[in-house]
Amino acid sequence: MTLSILIWLPAVIALLATALPPKLVGRVAAIGSLLPLALSISFLARFKSGQSGLQFVTDHVWIGTFGIHYKLGLDGLNVALVVLTTVLFTASLVWAASREWERPRLFYFFFGLAQSAVLGAFCAQDLFLFVAFFDLMLVPFYFLIGMWGTGERVRATTKLVIYTLVGSFFMLVAAIATAVLASDAHGTPLTFVISSLQHLPLSHTSQDWIFLCFAVAFMVKMPLVPFHGWLADGYKAMPIPAVAVFSGVLSKVAAYGFLRIVLPLFPYASVHYQTLVLLISLWSILWATSLAFTTTNARLVVAYSSIAQLGFITLGIFSLRPQGGQGALLQMLNHGLVTAPLFFIVAALAARCGGSEDIRDMGGLAFRAPVLATLFLIIALATLAMPGSSNFVGEFMILLGVFKAKLAISVIAFLGVVGAAVYALRVYIKTMHNRVGPKAQSREITLRDGLAIVPLVVVILALALYPQFGLKRSEQTLKATMAPAELQDGLSPAAVAAVTGSGRP
Amino acid sequence: MAATTFGWLVLLCPILGTVAIGFGYARLPGRSPGWIATAAIGMSFIFAIAMLIALLGRSPAHRQLTSSLWDYASSVGVDAKLQILVDPLSVFMVLVVSGVSTLIHLYSVSYMTSDRGYSRYFAYLNYFVFSMLLLVLAGNFLLLIVGWAFVGAASYLLISFWYRRDTATKAGIKAFVINVVGDVGLVLGTFFIFTHTGTLSFLQTFAAAPHVFHHDSTDLVAGCLLLLVGAFAKSAQVPLHTWLPDAMEGPTPVSSLIHAATMVTAGVYLIARMHPLFELAPTAADVGAVGGCITLLIAGTIGLAVTDIKRVIAYSTMSQIGYMIMGVSAGAYSGALFLLMAHAFFKALLFMAAGSLIGAMAGNQSLDRMSGFRRALPFTFGCFVIGGMALSGLPPFSGWFSKDDILAYLNHRGGGFEVMGIAGYFGAILTAIYTFRMIFRAFLGDPCPEAKELEQGHIAHVEVPTNPQTGEAEDTDVGFPGPGHYIAEREIPMKIAMGTLAALAAIGGFLQVPGVDDAIRRFLAPSFAGSPLAAAEPSNGADWIGLVIGAAIAVAGIAVAYRVWVLIPGTSTRVRERLSPLYQLFVNKWYFDELIDFLIVRPVAWFGQMLDTVLDRVLVTTIVTDGTVGLVRAGSAAVRRAQTGFLRYYAALMLLGVTGVVIYFLISS
Amino acid sequence: MTPLLPIAAAHIKGPYIDWGSLSPFVALAVGALLVLVLGLLSSSIARERVVPALTAMTLAVTIGFEISRFHHQTSIISGALRIDDLALVLDLVFSISALAAVVLSARERGAARAGHGEYHSLLLFSVFGMAVLVSAQNLVTLFIGLELLSIPLYILCASDSRRAASLESGLKYLVIGSVGSATLVYGLALIYGATGSTDFAQIASAITGNSVQAGGLLSDPLLLTGIGLTVVGFAFKASVAPFHQWTPDVYEGAPTPITAFMATATKAAAIGVFLRFFDVAVIGTQDTWAPMLAALATITIIVGNVGALGQSSMKRILAYSGVGQAGYMLAGVVVGSQLGIEATVFYILTYLPVNIAAFAVIVARERERAGGDDISALAGLGARQPWLAWPMTIAMLSLAGIPGTVGFIGKLYLIRALVSGAYTWLAIAIVVGSMISLGYYLRVVATMWMGSPEQAPARPAVAGRPAIAGGSPEADAADAGGWPKADSAVAQPEVVLVAVLFSAAGILFGIIPSPLLKLAAHAGRAITGIF
Repeated sequence: MTLSILIWLPAVIALLATALPPKLVGRVAAIGSLLPLALSISFLARFKSGQSGLQFVTDHVWIGTFGIHYKLGLDGLNVALVVLTTVLFTASLVWAASREWERPRLFYFFFGLAQSAVLGAFCAQDLFLFVAFFDLMLVPFYFLIGMWGTGERVRATTKLVIYTLVGSFFMLVAAIATAVLASDAHGTPLTFVISSLQHLPLSHTSQDWIFLCFAVAFMVKMPLVPFHGWLADGYKAMPIPAVAVFSGVLSKVAAYGFLRIVLPLFPYASVHYQTLVLLISLWSILWATSLAFTTTNARLVVAYSSIAQLGFITLGIFSLRPQGGQGALLQMLNHGLVTAPLFFIVAALAARCGGSEDIRDMGGLAFRAPVLATLFLIIALATLAMPGSSNFVGEFMILLGVFKAKLAISVIAFLGVVGAAVYALRVYIKTMHNRVGPKAQSREITLRDGLAIVPLVVVILALALYPQFGLKRSEQTLKATMAPAELQDGLSPAAVAAVTGSGRP
Repeated sequence: MAATTFGWLVLLCPILGTVAIGFGYARLPGRSPGWIATAAIGMSFIFAIAMLIALLGRSPAHRQLTSSLWDYASSVGVDAKLQILVDPLSVFMVLVVSGVSTLIHLYSVSYMTSDRGYSRYFAYLNYFVFSMLLLVLAGNFLLLIVGWAFVGAASYLLISFWYRRDTATKAGIKAFVINVVGDVGLVLGTFFIFTHTGTLSFLQTFAAAPHVFHHDSTDLVAGCLLLLVGAFAKSAQVPLHTWLPDAMEGPTPVSSLIHAATMVTAGVYLIARMHPLFELAPTAADVGAVGGCITLLIAGTIGLAVTDIKRVIAYSTMSQIGYMIMGVSAGAYSGALFLLMAHAFFKALLFMAAGSLIGAMAGNQSLDRMSGFRRALPFTFGCFVIGGMALSGLPPFSGWFSKDDILAYLNHRGGGFEVMGIAGYFGAILTAIYTFRMIFRAFLGDPCPEAKELEQGHIAHVEVPTNPQTGEAEDTDVGFPGPGHYIAEREIPMKIAMGTLAALAAIGGFLQVPGVDDAIRRFLAPSFAGSPLAAAEPSNGADWIGLVIGAAIAVAGIAVAYRVWVLIPGTSTRVRERLSPLYQLFVNKWYFDELIDFLIVRPVAWFGQMLDTVLDRVLVTTIVTDGTVGLVRAGSAAVRRAQTGFLRYYAALMLLGVTGVVIYFLISS
Repeated sequence: MTPLLPIAAAHIKGPYIDWGSLSPFVALAVGALLVLVLGLLSSSIARERVVPALTAMTLAVTIGFEISRFHHQTSIISGALRIDDLALVLDLVFSISALAAVVLSARERGAARAGHGEYHSLLLFSVFGMAVLVSAQNLVTLFIGLELLSIPLYILCASDSRRAASLESGLKYLVIGSVGSATLVYGLALIYGATGSTDFAQIASAITGNSVQAGGLLSDPLLLTGIGLTVVGFAFKASVAPFHQWTPDVYEGAPTPITAFMATATKAAAIGVFLRFFDVAVIGTQDTWAPMLAALATITIIVGNVGALGQSSMKRILAYSGVGQAGYMLAGVVVGSQLGIEATVFYILTYLPVNIAAFAVIVARERERAGGDDISALAGLGARQPWLAWPMTIAMLSLAGIPGTVGFIGKLYLIRALVSGAYTWLAIAIVVGSMISLGYYLRVVATMWMGSPEQAPARPAVAGRPAIAGGSPEADAADAGGWPKADSAVAQPEVVLVAVLFSAAGILFGIIPSPLLKLAAHAGRAITGIF
């Protein structure tokens, strides 16, 4: 069972499903998505936690002229994220399958394509391959939003694509420059394989500008302030299943990119720009938090909260401390798991309030829907990273890392923690509690929604009991990833040991 | 079985109760959820006793046991296991919590009968007890924080239990957010300590602390101060106390359990648990003591002024916890924990009695409306009086032994602490006065209509239930307090619960009679082994002197109250007029809400607006996005304008181009 | 070896002629003349069926010869022409694009009006000219090639002679074209004057100064002015800004198959001669001309992409996008290195299929409704005619350089060449251009898939055949109710076929680029003497 199968399976299934009568496509796609899910879990099961190197490596030459390889592999950084992807896509497909879509074949085809692209981006171990998948992810979403979205969908999707591609085009140049400059500097043949590039350090000046290109691409995708211009319109226009996976998984690809590419390949620049990135993340956290408790659109509250969460994740990564990195990885997992069901629940709420997503139209919904209320409560508490949730462990380690790196920043970042409590509970109360809203009529959660939400909640609870699950696999790889930057930062001999211990491809 | 095994079982029972009730919410008939919940807590109380026995079976030197199930979060230096710490201190807390909780569950079985959210209520209540037990049993900082936040969440859920009242939901979110502030303090404090000790486990931290921190080192002081923030937020100490009075929005048994007996005393437990660190950072300890002292005075004064009976008891709770915090920070560990236990008894009792009283008043809580329930509610009256005497520290009730134990310690310790001791005595007078103010106003005097009705044999009933705070009509389809009202006189479970607590409040003090039996001190000793402060107990003589003074003060206070509210009615109004500004200050709770609103809430809101409008709208949207788009648009317009379609223009432009190119080449030649 | 050889050996006494290398030219010339003669026949069958068929056959044969000549680097006609892989690859591009044009012209009014014979033979002659141009080894052949390329096109543009726009475009092209040629010939003359030679190799050595005057003429005003004028001449043909202005008007006016041919073949020829001339003849003065070309490339990228934004006619949009693309290709010339040539050739190869596909779709729409080249004509196409919508979508994405399409690899190659040629800033310019270009490429895609002016409802979810696998256009149009009678799908399978084939190539080579990369590499190695 190679990774290639896992990656391309969704697209193939979707393609085959297009041969079916429209009524069936959805269900078949949903059931079919269990295959990649099972596959990814089997990879997780066979994954050896102790080691830092790549496992299940697939490596073929793709474009020999440029030393571009079709190289896939799993290690501590991406193994959990791959599973997260399959889980969330399955959930979203289950959610989607119970609804009517215009031209369903096309819809599910693009959905499958999206999943393949995301999985590819996570598994890619070749710089160019990563860039290719990273941009490819966008195409299906362009259509998903533009064709099945709501409101100003075309404007929104165009804005989204242009914003993101602006970033990725710079990243393309940066990636090519990385390989070319590295090979020129060391007189080695051109290669894009990340593990090889790690041994061909770049000059400080080139690292500086290349870092910026990558950073912009990733920050647009996340997004962080001030690259978030597309967010509000985009999230409002997306169909629910799309937005669930978009904010659940696609934003993580960017954060993951920092760990996979930026820190190992540009350690000098990472240290050089550390404070800048930390400040941007901080700004994002505060900005998003403050917006999350002023906006009245339930969906936007979730959207802004995920900006804040990604701010925390970036904070952790650029603490350049292992604790921060581990926290960030765990938090990617957690955030994906809470944000997707949140969007489903927002949809459920809207369905009970005449389709309006405005919390002023809601209220008092808990009355006849105790189950929905409970699910929402659990997810809301996880979102605000209440201790006892795995999200808290993530935030705890993130902030611990930042605390060690830049005390002041971590102290300010705690404002975001308090703010999260305010906006999460505010939304919960204003929708579920208080007097019954003008348009609201309380109904219990439907089975079809439950099918999508409940499993995710179960996973959330399981992780809350055993966050170690998200930590143990990544420890070794993460240490190795952080080590070069730590060295640059003039840090502990432990880091040195980690480098020498794990540098080999 | 080992003590730790019982520890895990103690934790298991309540959570099982929650799950059982939660899943069976639709099917469980009548009062069964209540009984299930009560049974669950009862079980964990029994296991707690078993744990106590198991622990006493070991030699005093070996009474600190840890047990861990699995790695919770142990990676890259963080070493958090799912670990409990069983030692006299935690066992003591577990006993108090589970014991009092059992009784309050029992009380609730009747009290909440007519409420729609019956099973939801007991699910929450069990969840709370689980969280509280987790808090006191936690073996490392991370789990402590988990328990800490869980009790906060449970308290939020129960405060806004009647969620159709927006006063309730507001109070709930207020409590939750202030508690999150506390959590943040706790986390940051943990960071300060962890970065030096490199471990989260309590015992290892305490072992390492003396070696990694020098006396009063900045980081340790910072850490301990931040821990204090957590303690103050949870225990409603000034200035983080404003949530507690509002928390009275919750059902009365909840106030009695969470906001009197157990959760709010978590801060005391925290400081006691962290005493090795606080003793290394005296500065922080002193801050704690002063904070407690200030709180006990402020709360006492407010208790004199407010008229909502539950809020009076709430402020008295604040003030009593002020004593405990003061004591435990100063080093009177056993005294403070003793008071914690006693307070759990009599304050729970007082709330239950108040609940019964409110039941008789058909939901009304204002002292102005109550009077003369002496004959209508004899049992409640009795309980209230016992609780009141214990609270105001009359011999030989539990409050007397415990509070004066602390004050005696302070006076004995000296070095500025006598000042606090004296302040404590002043607070004692206030306590006696406001306590008996309640008793006299509610039970003596001519019966109010409700009392009369009750003497006729039926409980008062209101047609349109209204929110006691705002007076607005309740939302009648769900979530308002159940239409039925219950009084101890008629409900056996309530009677049992209150009776038991009354007995404990009366005789509980004899657990620790100076010189006779120092049961609590001796039992707790292993937890405080090696602490110089714990060793520096005053002599029995000093203790007894303190007790005598305390008794005298209590009597004096009661006398004053009697004179003001019974002998010469109307004195209070005259006093109020004479000291009008002071009265305004008290009745407005020293304007703390307004202060916080002005200092924090408004600036934050403004900051949010500013970020949104200025940074986002103007800077990002307008300048960056629109700017770029505009530039490109202008460009394309220009190109189209140049595309006239006329050959002559094209030719002209070509020639221009040619000249340009040629000139370039000529120059570079 | 070609069948012509024995005959030649038998009868003709005279200088040895390498018929093998000459074969493509021979095939084209003979074909063109035959077609012309056949066109004179009166029977409409002969004109409307045989002529196109024969043209297609000629081109097929030519392609065959070209492929057979790979890897022989030979100079023929006493060094006037050089048949090497660079030339052959480009010839391949010309022939294929011409072939496509022939297929697209099958129902073209213009062809009928001009008389099929003339129309097709002119097309072949133009291809002949291009072949000469990119093989030219001295100034004279170069100029002959250029004229041989242009004059037929002037006529072809005007071939739809009843339509004013067509005539206008022909005229405009002629006039401005002559200005361009004039500039060019002037420049060539100056170069000859400066170096005293017309042969590229000798010019090169004259410049670098291995010949009599040591030190060379690196900074000789005469030479440099000549080069400058030559740049303009080529730039005009390649529609490089600011010499691009004829492009939109001519493209819009000309019959669409011809536009398709010009957009691909002519551009390829012009860029090809850029490579020949600058990387062989005047490579010595690279330090001088490289910055100039870089500047021109940048201007072109910006002007082209920005200009396309506001347009509503698809042909104009593609014209401007072509201008922008010319900028990218020129960037490959700038670096003047092996890699640069490879990148440029490869880019041309990626540019060919998707553009043809796009134009094919336009041809189809033009025949289905009035104003079919307007972007609004594409509205809702995704729902009604997926077989047309998908090719257009792929074409747009590829031109925008989205991964999975061949355009992405093309950008990769260019950027790689620029980075190692120390022209990273130009790479950034390309990227910025691509960003702007998204503005209109995505607009086209959005119009096709995401509703339409009349918000044509997507077909109900229950409808018959798979939306993605399409089914036949008629059926699609049939159940997409409420459309003007003017817009009824016409059966034109050959056009759809072209669109599908070429767009498929766009995807295929995007995933497996190696074959094209090999071609490009060969072409690059054809020019020696540069690093």
